[in-house]
Amino acid sequence: MMRNSNQHIAGMVSTFFIGALACVGHSQEDSFGVVSEVLERRCVSCHAGSKPKGGLGLETLGAMLHGGESGPSLDVGHPEKSVLLEYVSGTDPQMPKGGKPLTQAEVEALGAWVQAGAKWPEGKKLEDRHVPDTDWWSLKPLERPAVPEVNQEGYVVANAIDAFVVSRLQEKGLPQSPRADRHTLLRRLYLDLIGLLPSPEQISEFVQDPASDEEAYRRVVDRLLDSPRYGERWARHWLDVVHFGETHGYDKDKQRPNAWPYRDYVISALNSDKPYRRFIQEQIAGDVLYPGTSDGIEALGMISAGPWDFIGHAEVPETKIDGKVARHLDRDDMIATVMGSFNSLTVGCAQCHNHKFDPISQQDYYRLQAVFAALDRADRVYDRDPEVAAKRLELDKQIALLATEIKQIDEQIIERGGKPLSDLDRLIAETTKTLGGNELPEFGYHSQIETRDDVPKWVQVDLGDSQSFVALEFVGCHDTFNGIGAGFGFPVRFLVEVSDDPEFRAGVVRWVDRTERDFSNPGVVPQRFESESPAGSSTKGRYVRITATKLARRMPTDFIFALGEISVLSREGKNLASGCSVTALDSIEAGPRWQRKNIVDGYYYGRSKLADTDLKNLQAQRSAMVDGILGNETKIRKEELAGLISKVQGAKSGLPPQQVVYAGVVHIGSGAFVGTGGSGGKPRPIYVLDRGSVTQPKDQVQSGALDCFVELKSWFDLPDDHSESDRRAALAHWISDDRNPLTWRSIVNRVWQYHFGRGIVETANDLGRMGSEPTHRELLDWLAVEFRDQGQSLKGLHRLIVTSHTYQQVSSVTNEAQALGAESVDSDNRYLWRSNRRRLEAEALRDMVLQVAGKLDLTMGGPSFQDFVIEQPEHSPHYEYHLHDPDDLKSHRRSVYRFLVRSQPQPFMATLDCADPSMRVDKRNESLSPLQALALLNNGFMVSMARHFANRVEIQQTDRGKQIERMFLLAFGRKPTDAELSAFEPYIAEHGLANACRLVFNLNEFSFVD
Amino acid sequence: MQIDPMENRCVSRRGWIESLGQGFGGLVLGTMLDRDMGGSSVLGGPSTGTGLGVAGSLNTLHHPAKAKRVVQLFMAGAASHLDLFDFKEELVKRHGQESDFGEPVEAFQNGLGPWLKPVWDFKRYGQSGRLLSEPVSELGKVADELAFVHNVVGKTGVHSQATLLHATGFQLPGFPGMGAWVSYGLGSMNDNLPTFVVFPDHRGLASNGTKNWDSAFLPAQHSGTVIYPGSENPIADLRPHKSGTYITGKSEAAGQSLLAELNARHAQDRLGDLRLESRIRSYELAARMQMAAPESLDFSQEPEHILKLYGLDQIPATFDKEINPQEETVHFSRKCLAARRMLERGVRFIQIWSGNDNGFPRRNWDSHEDIQRDHGPLSTGMAKGAAALIQDLKQRGMLEDTLILWTTEFGRMPSSQGGRGRDHNPYCFTNWLCGGGIRGGVSYGPSDAFGYKPLDRENPTQVYDIHATILHLLGIDHTKLTVRHNGIDRRLTDVHGHVLTELLA
Repeated sequence: MMRNSNQHIAGMVSTFFIGALACVGHSQEDSFGVVSEVLERRCVSCHAGSKPKGGLGLETLGAMLHGGESGPSLDVGHPEKSVLLEYVSGTDPQMPKGGKPLTQAEVEALGAWVQAGAKWPEGKKLEDRHVPDTDWWSLKPLERPAVPEVNQEGYVVANAIDAFVVSRLQEKGLPQSPRADRHTLLRRLYLDLIGLLPSPEQISEFVQDPASDEEAYRRVVDRLLDSPRYGERWARHWLDVVHFGETHGYDKDKQRPNAWPYRDYVISALNSDKPYRRFIQEQIAGDVLYPGTSDGIEALGMISAGPWDFIGHAEVPETKIDGKVARHLDRDDMIATVMGSFNSLTVGCAQCHNHKFDPISQQDYYRLQAVFAALDRADRVYDRDPEVAAKRLELDKQIALLATEIKQIDEQIIERGGKPLSDLDRLIAETTKTLGGNELPEFGYHSQIETRDDVPKWVQVDLGDSQSFVALEFVGCHDTFNGIGAGFGFPVRFLVEVSDDPEFRAGVVRWVDRTERDFSNPGVVPQRFESESPAGSSTKGRYVRITATKLARRMPTDFIFALGEISVLSREGKNLASGCSVTALDSIEAGPRWQRKNIVDGYYYGRSKLADTDLKNLQAQRSAMVDGILGNETKIRKEELAGLISKVQGAKSGLPPQQVVYAGVVHIGSGAFVGTGGSGGKPRPIYVLDRGSVTQPKDQVQSGALDCFVELKSWFDLPDDHSESDRRAALAHWISDDRNPLTWRSIVNRVWQYHFGRGIVETANDLGRMGSEPTHRELLDWLAVEFRDQGQSLKGLHRLIVTSHTYQQVSSVTNEAQALGAESVDSDNRYLWRSNRRRLEAEALRDMVLQVAGKLDLTMGGPSFQDFVIEQPEHSPHYEYHLHDPDDLKSHRRSVYRFLVRSQPQPFMATLDCADPSMRVDKRNESLSPLQALALLNNGFMVSMARHFANRVEIQQTDRGKQIERMFLLAFGRKPTDAELSAFEPYIAEHGLANACRLVFNLNEFSFVD
Repeated sequence: MQIDPMENRCVSRRGWIESLGQGFGGLVLGTMLDRDMGGSSVLGGPSTGTGLGVAGSLNTLHHPAKAKRVVQLFMAGAASHLDLFDFKEELVKRHGQESDFGEPVEAFQNGLGPWLKPVWDFKRYGQSGRLLSEPVSELGKVADELAFVHNVVGKTGVHSQATLLHATGFQLPGFPGMGAWVSYGLGSMNDNLPTFVVFPDHRGLASNGTKNWDSAFLPAQHSGTVIYPGSENPIADLRPHKSGTYITGKSEAAGQSLLAELNARHAQDRLGDLRLESRIRSYELAARMQMAAPESLDFSQEPEHILKLYGLDQIPATFDKEINPQEETVHFSRKCLAARRMLERGVRFIQIWSGNDNGFPRRNWDSHEDIQRDHGPLSTGMAKGAAALIQDLKQRGMLEDTLILWTTEFGRMPSSQGGRGRDHNPYCFTNWLCGGGIRGGVSYGPSDAFGYKPLDRENPTQVYDIHATILHLLGIDHTKLTVRHNGIDRRLTDVHGHVLTELLA
């Protein structure tokens, strides 16, 4: 770095002295405050760390005095001789590099501070507080640009889009390409809008339509946009963006059987052309902003769409560091998904420090985390039928009203009861706590899994020595963890025997025999058995063995034996089995949930470890005391209220059963995964984390959005007693506000990208400084304003785009374009002088294969089909795709209904660059590899579909020439050429039609759209 | 119509690459074409390069490389440094005494029972006097080749996050595995096999499944290709699915040429779109891979002394139901021998896993209950296979440019969990490296007297440093191999990493 000229120094010095005078009266602390603020905001981002710019660190006084390449930066007491001042003063200062100069007042404060002796608080180290400015195209307010007037000679301008595009083409001296033929257009349009092929009949109808090209085309556009297939095709794009998956990912990649309603929500929102503003609002805060609607609940599946660290949440509590890390990362994913999807910003970059490029401070990042601080990812119950939802809401209101009155009475009781009552209440609370009201994870004993139900399994208790007993009690398991519920694994037929021989070889007394008939599953209701043996009511023995002779069905193809608790009762009612040692033929031993010892631990579902007689006594005392306090009238009213509540609750339980969606929810849980439901959804406190470390929290923050738009403030103005849902509602409003320019630019750019293969801004997930700049900024803004102000109709936007001439151009390079040198001016077609040939995505290709093979099942919605077999579901499920039968009809639905596993994505689809639900995908990769070729040739799905394709053709045609023609019509929508006919004829003659059909699936023409 | 002369094609190639709008995706494919057209690969490429997939994204190396190939040995579940490699006298002395860490410790499963001495005895090996415990004593034969790092620290004691961190450099899913980065940067060295190969544990995948070797935002051809040596179908879709009874050798051969012919005709009308040509090429390469892959996994030509070296000379028909050293040796060694064969044939990066997920009975290194029961057989098998691989590479002159890394998720606590197992210790554990560019026989970064934390807590080794060192030895500056994704220039080492110069030869 070079020093300034002497003249500059002179100028600087004179500026400084005026400043120094102006500063008289500032205390030294004041001036350090200003100085540190300026340095932190403007200088430290470059001049810090182990390799500061110019070798000069400005974090500490020592570093400043040590100086850099230009020597010491300060001459204490002499501002006019200090290099630091020299660099930042004058009319055109060298520093801050590339930024606005410091204000005069700032320079003056710096000078005064140096002159006053550069006082520095002991041990103080400055931090980078630089936040990039908002002077960036995408952050500027949206204004509607005028549609350019263009010279139409040699150019077609069908609508405003063409005007913008042609204007750039003309600027660059580029031609426009002619419209593609009807056949090409139809295939392009079908695959783009609905992701399926037109049938040969639809093609000939369109090609022969006597209407004008425009009219015929417009009718097809309308028809396709009205087709439910449209929503299925375009929902897949959105699901990529929000990284929707149906397992958690990470370790023990558990399934989310209730994630699909969100997928169906997206499909139906697109099919019904839901205004985009509402689409945004529902996905962030639909439960608050549109209460009583099923969309408002299902849409919250966006918040939970991404991965979830099961172990970090379900096995590690929030009090531990690992638990904190897991929850921090979980919120990070939520805000990255919401802000990345709707605003195309990379907020995650601000979790350790202010964003390096975009105006997102670390503070803002954590304020966004605070918006979701009460939420977790879990199942949420709701009513799909809005009438039922309304009814339930009404009943809930009634209950709340009645409860309020009861509460008032209770408050009176407490007031009048005074200290004696409060003492008693404390005692009750303590007793309840020791009893442990929560459900414990020690479910019980669980045998190994068998593939048949007739493999006997036993578990036995060793009473220590031979003892007399009169009864046995069993309780079934309750597996909340996997949501399997009560009576899980309870044997269908079983036997109880007693012996003094641990091997049960001799002296065996058969105590209970239930091997003749199936025993109906008792759930968790304790089952008491008294002796059935002729030996009498009391039996003696050391070992009690329960043998399941017919196992319980756990999955369609596997069987187990599980039990929650066994008590062996003496005549005095004492449980002799308590804490005894337990053996079993086998056991999965997956502590703490499944262990042999759990069956004698005194705990089972619905019952606490200790007897609760103490509690009952205390409660009796309390009710006697309350009776003494209340007047007769109030007492009657209270009873009446309780009656009313139970009546309303009765009505509520009579409503149709509710649905479940995996969504962002206030979770009420147990064990390590408690959620915030217990505290009524109170958001967890969120702190700015120093360097993103959960062990180094700094200031607590309130919820908020980003401070990056001139017109839209980042504060939510929520009252002190606001709820968590107020925060989400505020963010939903902030994002969907007309004045949030990113929202509207982001969505029209995404839609453009899916139509053309490249966005107007190439980086659809990043409109910030690290992203690309738009090729057609005015067009983008015009589309954004048009879309925003015309009801935010996505179908309207599609219609506008696909009816433009720009969209309908041929994709090949015409002779004219070649002659004009279009390829050398714009080889990558950024200015759209032709269409782009597109390679089909994995889903479109798979759907087309099914369609051409005549196997496509168009059933919509509902749980996803699974094209894998699950092994070892009780621990970490293994998703075995190779065991799936490709002829399984359930798997012949459209790919958007495929069950999406995170840890083991479907290998065939993954090879074809299918989106990975572990990351937010704005655009599919487009790779070509031999592994892809192998997958398309040899995967069971392809091999089997080629056979079905051949059968389909063979049934329709017997003549070989006709068969080839049919094969081409179905796959390519065209007849074969003579050369193709003569190439295929001998091949089919020798190797059969199925091999030919397999070839057709592998041709380039099948994978690409012109 | 004739294909354009190469000069013109190069111009349109660039055009096409950008027209993909794919950035690097296109670029890699582009370099693949470059190499197909006689361009040279960065390093170690075959002279007659037709390239299976890719040349690297780097045109030139950042500095001369010491290694060309990498083998990563990954112990799923977290292997105990204390019982294998990091001997602690203090634990022997205080065995059974109440543990005292001198500070509050957060253990994953509250495993802060009494101090637990190493389960096995340690002995010294090699000129370096390397201390190794009994089940890993096989590594004593190559003790002077190994460089140990005893102060590696993790970020969490959660298996999934820790596995991702060591496999991809990030705790979250969605980032490319180290092998994918190396494939992306350096490309292939062969014509008919994948660049990055993964041998999972035969019993199943570790935490996070395929996410540990996924290409994430890099193009799919950089993903690890999963191979199960010794199984019926070692590579997915290499051969037609069993339902394809109509497919014969003849129909395949005739089909390949018909496919090429029809695709060529289709491409003729669409000049300038090199994706179409690449796709034609990919089918030719696939056919080559169908020949080469089975050959590379076929041990039948391996001489007896090599099979013996790997412990593969006598393989019983069935194994005991309980976990046992022989079975572990057969499975791990089989992967090691397959690795050597694939390395010889130009595979650049091989990841070998030991241990699967946290199912029961335990078949991974997560020995909460009983170190001896799980670590014993697993480490015996691992040491036999790894030692054989190192010796075998050395005798073929390949060890000098093949880098081997032994790693795991985190370590285990010096205290017991009350019984015979140890809880997670993300605060300190051991890695070792050997081969190309590594100074053998060194021990770097000691742990403290108990193996609880690094001796110098201010200067631990992080996974970023290990990754930076590996890239360095491959001739790559870890700060310069970047890809922009969702607005961030991503790299394997995030914003961290220092080359461990003490380990360099």
